[in-house]
Amino acid sequence: MSNAAGPLAGRRILVVEDEYFIAEAMEEWLIGAGVEVVGPVPGVEQALRLIGEPGKVLDGAVLDVNLGRGETAYAIADRLNERGVPYLFATGDVRITDAPEHRRRLRLEKPLTRQQLIRQVERLLAGSPGHSD
Amino acid sequence: MPDLDRMVKRQQVLADFGELALCSLDLDRILAEACRLVGDALGTGRAKLLEILHAEGQLLVRAGVGWDPGIVGRLRMPMEEHSSETFAIAAGEPVISRDIGKEDRFDVPPFMREAGVVALVNVPIFLPGGRAFGLLQVDDTRPRDFGEDEIQFLRTYANILGPVIDRLLLARTLQSTEERFRLMVESALDYAIFLADPQDRITDWLPGAQAVFGWTAEEVGGQPAAITFTPEDRASGQDRWETETARKEGVAPNIRWHIRKDGSRVFIEGSTRALRDPDGTLMGFLKIGQDVTARRDGEERLRESEERFRQFSEASSDLIWVRNAGSMELEYLSPAFETIYGGSREAVLKGGTVQRWAELVHPEDRERALSMIYRVRAGERVMNAFRIIRPSDGETRWIENTDFPLFDNKGRVQRIAGLAKDVTEARMSSARLQVLVEELQHRSRNLIGVITSVASRTLGEEGGAADFQARLQALSRAQGLLSQFGSDTAEVGALVRGELEAHTEVRPPKVAVSGPRVLLTARQVQNFSLALHELTTNAVKYGALRDEAGQLSVTWAVDWDEKGQRRLTLDWIESGVDLQPDRITRRGYGRQLIEKALAYALRARTEFVLGEDGVRCRIQLPLE
Repeated sequence: MSNAAGPLAGRRILVVEDEYFIAEAMEEWLIGAGVEVVGPVPGVEQALRLIGEPGKVLDGAVLDVNLGRGETAYAIADRLNERGVPYLFATGDVRITDAPEHRRRLRLEKPLTRQQLIRQVERLLAGSPGHSD
Repeated sequence: MPDLDRMVKRQQVLADFGELALCSLDLDRILAEACRLVGDALGTGRAKLLEILHAEGQLLVRAGVGWDPGIVGRLRMPMEEHSSETFAIAAGEPVISRDIGKEDRFDVPPFMREAGVVALVNVPIFLPGGRAFGLLQVDDTRPRDFGEDEIQFLRTYANILGPVIDRLLLARTLQSTEERFRLMVESALDYAIFLADPQDRITDWLPGAQAVFGWTAEEVGGQPAAITFTPEDRASGQDRWETETARKEGVAPNIRWHIRKDGSRVFIEGSTRALRDPDGTLMGFLKIGQDVTARRDGEERLRESEERFRQFSEASSDLIWVRNAGSMELEYLSPAFETIYGGSREAVLKGGTVQRWAELVHPEDRERALSMIYRVRAGERVMNAFRIIRPSDGETRWIENTDFPLFDNKGRVQRIAGLAKDVTEARMSSARLQVLVEELQHRSRNLIGVITSVASRTLGEEGGAADFQARLQALSRAQGLLSQFGSDTAEVGALVRGELEAHTEVRPPKVAVSGPRVLLTARQVQNFSLALHELTTNAVKYGALRDEAGQLSVTWAVDWDEKGQRRLTLDWIESGVDLQPDRITRRGYGRQLIEKALAYALRARTEFVLGEDGVRCRIQLPLE
């Protein structure tokens, strides 16, 4: 299943998704594309901790916007912006309440499919140079 | 002519004149006759009467004998200072000129010289009180003397003429006054005027009465005045009350419905007045009234229309207001103001300026709300919504206004008016609805993601289709419970029983379920119910619910974790199960769900233990 030769091979992608079953599916799909999945984590607190891990550079992130209990992923997005890490939003919400800088981001409409997820993550990473291992 | 004869003749003239003056009221005829008698008596054949026209400063030849008809009644001459006439009036007694050719006291008017007058006598006529009426002038074409007896005769004659003229002038003035009065009364057709005798029988019925009531004077003469009253007023004695009151008080108001000849009704506003002669004897009654039926009908219609508007606007829960477009002052404010704006209506009406209202509007919306009002004054219809800060409780409320101009008959904006309603609740529920729709979108999209994920993991396994179907049903039950509770929460007991009842009969001692009422949120319910489902299907396939032997106890309580977070602790305990270790120990997808999904999404702690006679599972779930 692993695609060691694909464009995502070896890339470190953070996955933030509060729903276990969806997180699990996304993890599985990304691993299948050769991605080194960071997470998945269900909330802001865990995500910020992973972003802040010293010496571990992220290549990108897939963020669920609505993290439940009133929590949103914008704080994570801001931190990623600071670090120059590209990210995309995966959201089931119709209305975009994002701030302008978030609105320009690539997004994924839920429910996700494997193809959509992989394609959008590839596009996300195509816009930024991959780090060298 | 002997003196005696002359004396007798002159007495005769005076007597004849006196007689005529007594029986005639025709001033011109009397004056003409006076001239004729004087001309005869003095044998000149010529005499005339000059009337002073004080206003014009002229003398008019009012009557005359022996003079040309072109002169009598027509000729006027200025009252000059040096004329014989002015001289005579000033002298106050007859002035004689034997020969005007030799006269050096005054001038004689040219027309008299032209007519050949040589001698003349001017006798002034004074009215009682001393005012000069004019002159009696006797002329002769021959120079002649006027004897003392003749002068005395003329003086007497002039003294008789004065009072006679005065009486006739007075009579003429009286007559014209009376005539004027009669004309006035008869032309007052808007007023019913009639007179009745002391027994209240109609004696005089003026044209106005006929116009208002329809009867002619002939028809009502002698009839009781009460025929103009309605039967009900007659029955209750109102007609007698009115005449009695007039008799006692002098006058009684007559303001009531009356009846016409044709039976229709007419509303009269007027009075009944008692007429008394100078010694106080009752002569009758004067009734004067105006037909105000049309005005009254109009007033009645207006009153009804106002009443209708009042009922409508006072019953309305929407606020109705009207402002004068000129002063912009409030003219009307319906009672709903007090509920919507929460202030006293009277206080706002009293100083009903726009500014006063604007003060109630939220500062951020004030300018816009004011500009709307002025757009309406310019003739536009507007709908707008703004916030107010309700003075009674300081709450911010949303008001929706529909404002419109009211035009006068020339098309100018005369008033502006509007309907206002408090739409705070409607706005809030619409906002809530919006949130719900968004939440529903979010949830249903997530749910599909969950189902997809579960499907991909389940369908590959042995018996996968049935398991998948069962899991879908579990999800569906959980969703059903959420919508059933209405509050977007579900109760733990209901979730547990719902899941168990889908597979078995929930009845002790086989299955015991107990715990307090605990509500879980929507996001908790989905994973929690799936976990319950996995526990249940596991029990049905391998554990306590597989056969008669096993027992299941599900109990829960609310307690606090070490961080002081409120949590649910649920114990799932199976007993009396003949364990088949080879099957139950494998770590299937179901167990993964129980252990991982709850921990991941709900930060729950789960312990899943295979005891000696069955599964023991403890789920500790932080409550939100």
